[in-house]
Amino acid sequence: MSAGPRPELVADGYSAGRPRWAQLATSADHKDVGQILITGALGFLFIALVELALMRIQLLVPENTFLSPVAFNRMLSLYGASAVFFFALPLVIGLFYYVAPLQIGARGTALPRLGQVGLALWVAGATALYATFLFTPSEAGVNPLAPLSEVAFLSNNGVDAWATATGLATLGFVLLSINLIATLKTMRAPGMAWRRVPVFAWAAAVGSWLMAVIGPVLLAALTMLMIDRNYDGIFFADGSGGAPLLWQHLSWIFYTGTYMLILIFAFGAIAEIVATFARKPLFNRNVVMACLAAIAVIGTLAWMQNMLTAPIGIGWMYFAMLMSLALIVPIGLVLFNLIATLAGGTLRMRAPLLFATGAIFAISVGLASELCHSLVAAAWHLKNTTDSTAATHFALVGGAVFGGFAALHYWFPKMTGRTMGESLAKISFWTILAGLLLGFVPLFFAGAEQGQVVDAYKYFAGTGVTAYNVIASIGVFVLFVGILLTILNAIFSRTNGPEAGHDPWAGDTLEWFTLSPPEPHNFDVLPDVRSARPLRDIRVAIGHRSRRSERAAARESQPVA
Amino acid sequence: MASHSPGTDQIDTLLWIGIVAAAILIVALVGALLYVLRRYRGERGAEPRQLLGGRALQFRVAGVLTLFAALLFILGVVFTDNAREEPSTGDAGLASLKSEPLKIKATGQQWLWRYDYPNGAFSYYKLVVPVDTAVELEVLSTDVVHTWNVEDLARKADAVPGKTNEVLFSADEEGVYGGDSATLSGQAYAAMRTEVEVVSPEEYEEFVEAQNEEIDAAEERVVGLIENGETP
Repeated sequence: MSAGPRPELVADGYSAGRPRWAQLATSADHKDVGQILITGALGFLFIALVELALMRIQLLVPENTFLSPVAFNRMLSLYGASAVFFFALPLVIGLFYYVAPLQIGARGTALPRLGQVGLALWVAGATALYATFLFTPSEAGVNPLAPLSEVAFLSNNGVDAWATATGLATLGFVLLSINLIATLKTMRAPGMAWRRVPVFAWAAAVGSWLMAVIGPVLLAALTMLMIDRNYDGIFFADGSGGAPLLWQHLSWIFYTGTYMLILIFAFGAIAEIVATFARKPLFNRNVVMACLAAIAVIGTLAWMQNMLTAPIGIGWMYFAMLMSLALIVPIGLVLFNLIATLAGGTLRMRAPLLFATGAIFAISVGLASELCHSLVAAAWHLKNTTDSTAATHFALVGGAVFGGFAALHYWFPKMTGRTMGESLAKISFWTILAGLLLGFVPLFFAGAEQGQVVDAYKYFAGTGVTAYNVIASIGVFVLFVGILLTILNAIFSRTNGPEAGHDPWAGDTLEWFTLSPPEPHNFDVLPDVRSARPLRDIRVAIGHRSRRSERAAARESQPVA
Repeated sequence: MASHSPGTDQIDTLLWIGIVAAAILIVALVGALLYVLRRYRGERGAEPRQLLGGRALQFRVAGVLTLFAALLFILGVVFTDNAREEPSTGDAGLASLKSEPLKIKATGQQWLWRYDYPNGAFSYYKLVVPVDTAVELEVLSTDVVHTWNVEDLARKADAVPGKTNEVLFSADEEGVYGGDSATLSGQAYAAMRTEVEVVSPEEYEEFVEAQNEEIDAAEERVVGLIENGETP
């Protein structure tokens, strides 16, 4: 596949001047920043899994003493922060940041230095989180609810470090998102109206707007927490004008928005993948695009779904239920359109499509279970049981692991010029699927049936949950192996994978029009965009022309007389 | 979970409605996905028909989904309202109460529950209530957020410092019902459990009497020690 006209100047043999790592460390190029985020995210995925595995060993048998209560709470806090702020969000935002500018035919980004600062802040956050190993990690859990997070109850610096780490990372995400918003708004190729923007780039726009809204909410909450802890503040302290529930509102707005952001990312990536591998256009683009925006708004407004057992008015609870159940419509429509796109196609069952179907499956199971948590009285039973752990993990492993890996396998050839090993990808997929089912289906039962509570460092014999926990622990190890296989696959394929060419999947969108990996300026030339599938337009035009020239050749070869 | 209170009956029913609704969605989505994946496999060949979904179809699907969501919302409100209803004290219950529910304070503190009864008696860890009697728990906290959780008898309720949460139940059978706190509250969170012992009204009256006497006796002992100049 040629990449169009190239300058004739030969530059081979001239060194780049600086080593590759120095280039990467100082680059503001969206592709370098995106790749660092994606690579870092996969590293933290591994670390998060180690932490999850340690907790699952502790929960293997009743009243186990493998981890002390304090060690367990530290693992829990580190796992939550790693999974959300240092795996899921950077993977999602990194892929948006790498791919979306290419998809819209931009030769760079609008505010590259802003994104570079964003990356630096994220790295600083990651450093702050894991530097806590030198003193004391936070013990306050995945979402450190005030007042447990206040200095009166946890006086060491763990919570301060947690707040610093997540705050720096969040500020980084906001800066990266602002750059994406500006880029997608101002740098689209000639002819690419919003209605012709690839769905994944649209998801990037919606996701970036969402992060620009929810990020500052968490930053505000973290600032208040830091003032409370270090400067005798009273924001979340009761009795002196503060309100512990304020923390819950602010933090759940962020966490719920993040949940939606991961889903929006996954739906955007899956939409590209199903269309490409079914060789059909998305069944109804406009509806999918409208639904992604609706998910961002309605989903985030459902934040109080997490507070249905808190002392808030029943009206607020019904509002949370209304917003959660309203999500059935846009999410249902998106899933319907994704499956309808596959129908009638000629499906090539390659790794990206395999992971994408896994994502649709896991997200469906996870969100359908979340539905039970949205019915107020049912939530009064299910809240904070392992059933909620299972539902969240199905939806978010579906979105960030299956969805993220689908996107990784799909765009890996663009980033490296090589495809990821196909058979290893398939083994990895089935292992992850088995691990997810074994690891989290038992928790549905342990939670809904036996009421096992979340976040506890032990459970007791005779409560009917031992068997479920044994299976879940084994499942998490299977999941670990499956995910590790994909990470190893990515590492080896980077240098040793089969060469992919510039457009291995016959994609319809502009990122496949450039070299793999792309040059720093992305594109030498750009086609005029006349539809949502500019590359297919070119293929069709070439097809017509070659048929015409075949006919002309045939006429010329006819005997004249 | 085995329901032993009118409120938890409603919670149980709504939970099953949710499980059925979730199962319908999962079966429909996963079924359609698997069917499509089997039916349309094809590595090579001509480009398939470039089908697009029309607006009418999208509206129909959206309509069905909206009806589904609306139905769930209505069922959710109905059963939640039922679950919030104040239970009435039956014939086997505490007669002295008349129409008022028995008001007990449940205070969470790291890592123990304290229960304060109307006559001034209190108990730690174990709550004793009469059978077939409407009980109103005021759920409070003195330090961090806890969740009071005895799933066979009542809903979960967060104990948030500075706020009061309310739990209503009426146990239909004598017995002991256990529960774990359900919000991470620090190191000994997993050991922060509670028990509700449901007894006959006579036994309940005896319990609070005895509890009161014991507390008074203990106080007297302590006061006596202090008056004698000893450390209690």
